[in-house]
Amino acid sequence: MHPHAAMEPFLEAVQYRRQRLEGAVSRGEKVIGYFCTYTPVELIHACGFLPVRIWARTGPAEKACAQVPGFICPYMQLSLENALSGEFLFLSGVVQAYTCDVACGCVNIWKATFPDLLVHSIPLPYNVSPEAGAYLRSCLEETVEKLVSAGGTYSDEALAESLDLYGRIRGILSALHEQRAQGTLAMTSADLNVVAQAFFAMDPVHYLMMLERLVADLNSCRSILAPGIPVLVSGSVVEDAGIISLVEALGLRVAADDLCTGLRAFTPASAAGQNPLEQVGNRIMKRFPCPARSRQSQRIPLVLDLVKSSGAQGVIFLFQKFCTPHLADYPAVCGALKDAGIPSILLELDGNAGMEAQALTRLETFAGMVGA
Amino acid sequence: MGSTGKSKKRLSTARELTRVVTDYYLECHRARAEGRPVGWMPPMNGGIEIFYAMDLQPVFPENWSPVCAAFSLAPGHFEISEGMGYSRDLCGYLRNIVGYVHSDMNGPGVPLGGLPEPDMLMSFGGGCVPAMKIFQILESRFPRAKVFRADVPQVACEDIREHHVDYAVSEIHRLIEFLERTTGRKLDQERLHRTVELSDAACRLWDEIMSLRRCRPAPISASEIGIMFVMVTRQGTQTAVDFLTRVRDEVAERAEQGIGVIEDELVRLFWDNIPLWYNMGLFNEFEGLGGVVVAETYSAAWSLRLDASDPVRALALKSLMSYSLVSCLSIERRKEMVLKACRDYGIDGAVFHRNKSCVPITLGQDEIIRALDEELGIPSVTIDADHMDSRNFSHAQFKARTDAFMEMLLARKNG
Ligand code: SF4
Ligand code: SF4
Repeated sequence: MHPHAAMEPFLEAVQYRRQRLEGAVSRGEKVIGYFCTYTPVELIHACGFLPVRIWARTGPAEKACAQVPGFICPYMQLSLENALSGEFLFLSGVVQAYTCDVACGCVNIWKATFPDLLVHSIPLPYNVSPEAGAYLRSCLEETVEKLVSAGGTYSDEALAESLDLYGRIRGILSALHEQRAQGTLAMTSADLNVVAQAFFAMDPVHYLMMLERLVADLNSCRSILAPGIPVLVSGSVVEDAGIISLVEALGLRVAADDLCTGLRAFTPASAAGQNPLEQVGNRIMKRFPCPARSRQSQRIPLVLDLVKSSGAQGVIFLFQKFCTPHLADYPAVCGALKDAGIPSILLELDGNAGMEAQALTRLETFAGMVGA
Repeated sequence: MGSTGKSKKRLSTARELTRVVTDYYLECHRARAEGRPVGWMPPMNGGIEIFYAMDLQPVFPENWSPVCAAFSLAPGHFEISEGMGYSRDLCGYLRNIVGYVHSDMNGPGVPLGGLPEPDMLMSFGGGCVPAMKIFQILESRFPRAKVFRADVPQVACEDIREHHVDYAVSEIHRLIEFLERTTGRKLDQERLHRTVELSDAACRLWDEIMSLRRCRPAPISASEIGIMFVMVTRQGTQTAVDFLTRVRDEVAERAEQGIGVIEDELVRLFWDNIPLWYNMGLFNEFEGLGGVVVAETYSAAWSLRLDASDPVRALALKSLMSYSLVSCLSIERRKEMVLKACRDYGIDGAVFHRNKSCVPITLGQDEIIRALDEELGIPSVTIDADHMDSRNFSHAQFKARTDAFMEMLLARKNG
């Protein structure tokens, strides 16, 4: 039993996500998968589909290795392994915001391997400008067209409702992240990771109810977490909450994250715009940037701000192995942190559960160095 | 470990390439000396024609990497960039150029005088991640350079729609405006028109040369593919058109006279992915066994046409399509292209380079291998290597795999 009773449904939502989604599909719902959290989930939802983030697994990629080389990130490799093992038979399609070369190539492989799925990639702009905004709106309109051709229906009203729903969810999740940065959140970051993962895998209406219950539970909770040395975790996909627990068990406290399974998925909660479609586009353009979709000069100051505002004493880079966008930015981010007197450590996730002894030793040394 | 080996060239025009390359780098250095603005840019986009139309000097750091590999400078550059914290898992172009710009760029041992420092950087959003990140790193290495932050939609050729083109057109206009403002030069529309015509003429000649490789025996092989240097660095110039015309004429003459790459062409091969720039001699190794690499995927990147009646739109389309040909083309389209090439060129077997340094081109190869086998009965062999980093290449493994493959192909031919 989890110390917070309100956490139980989140744990279950993650544990039984496939069965529940299969159940939803058998009741007539349609599910669309996505990989990258730049994907406009509210648009998919407004068209009558349930958007869920495609998940990977731990262990070897036996089936996938006949289709992809061993030197791509385990997240994409093991998601394909899941798909080839029948994990995602409930999907009607994959709608994906263009992330990186690996995501693009793997989406192409999904398209070739599962010809009955709707597969659509949204070529997001890289720049932020009025022209880029107008272009992005056209891309979103094209996405609506694709979703409608796959049996969806669209109206501005429905999008306004979905925006409101997701805006509330993201608002609460952002507030939890904020409380965590201030050290006033009565839950661990490992739990917060589970809360985020449930968001990616379930119906948002139901999820919002669970989230509100969790917040009420946290508000009434008197337990104070053991104080730890605050650190920031930076990377892409961290699906294994166990890694975060491990960090926390070393006397460190994850005060903030720069992960696509964390803060980057929820910030900002919403954005203004003259119509719902423009609001979706503006939110994408204002999103806390990820290295795959931004320039170093734009992103590094924001990461430094995050370190400062959360009081992090060190940064743990938790990268998916072979993740080019993060690896290419790493020396520059690391250098900027060094100049600011912030130590950092790089750990790569190879798709296996847990952490190798050598990595654990390095992490322990790092914890000691920052004073844990 | 792979040894450095240069390929054997049979064309006198291919040998002339050395002069073309030297002239280009001399011109780059002259530009600096004469105060003609130098801009560094990624290859395969419409920026090059605009540069030439404005008498600006384009420099291509990505293209410098094969030069570094050929002169065995890459290992030293890798050491520098890896020392800075760049992972060995990153594309070798990125690690090489980062190492190069943090070394003595124009020092005494550097071939061709190295690259002149940039006055401007065309930092793209679009194309593959390493190509974008290279320029972001260059931005901090050359803080005095004026930076143009371009955007190109990452969309597969077959999915290009009007809004993608409109956005790319608006980016080309923005680039022109940036260049005019930064350099104080005005773009002459007539010059631009002429430059795009020359660019199109180069593409047409390129296609002609490539299709002459259908002849049996093949008049040129992948060993001569260095001629694409002019497509990378000289598109939009008379130099490219003149050089390619001479190449075309020589290749046509060889084809007409039945002069092949080797005397007894037994097996025709297809090559997928970028060559191993530090060991171009590998192509000749097939020749020792009667095999000739007569077609390859990457040469298709120049197989575009530009409609000079609307130069800006033509350049926008070029930017949209060139990169997507290598980085986000659907597997369906890639399959179509490879299968068509294999039919057109009478291919007996395909060599797939599983390239540790280039994920975009490597992803999807397995599907194509299957299609070649199932639809055309063409067998393939996979080589694990890297187009820049010889540490990721084992010559012994290459030899064992390709020898067995060639033996099998020859047995099929004779059986
Ligand atoms: S950004 Fe990194 S983790 Fe995400 S799909 Fe690309 S390579 Fe994988
Ligand atoms: S296309 Fe391939 S080789 Fe070229 S920069 Fe990108 S990853 Fe590197």
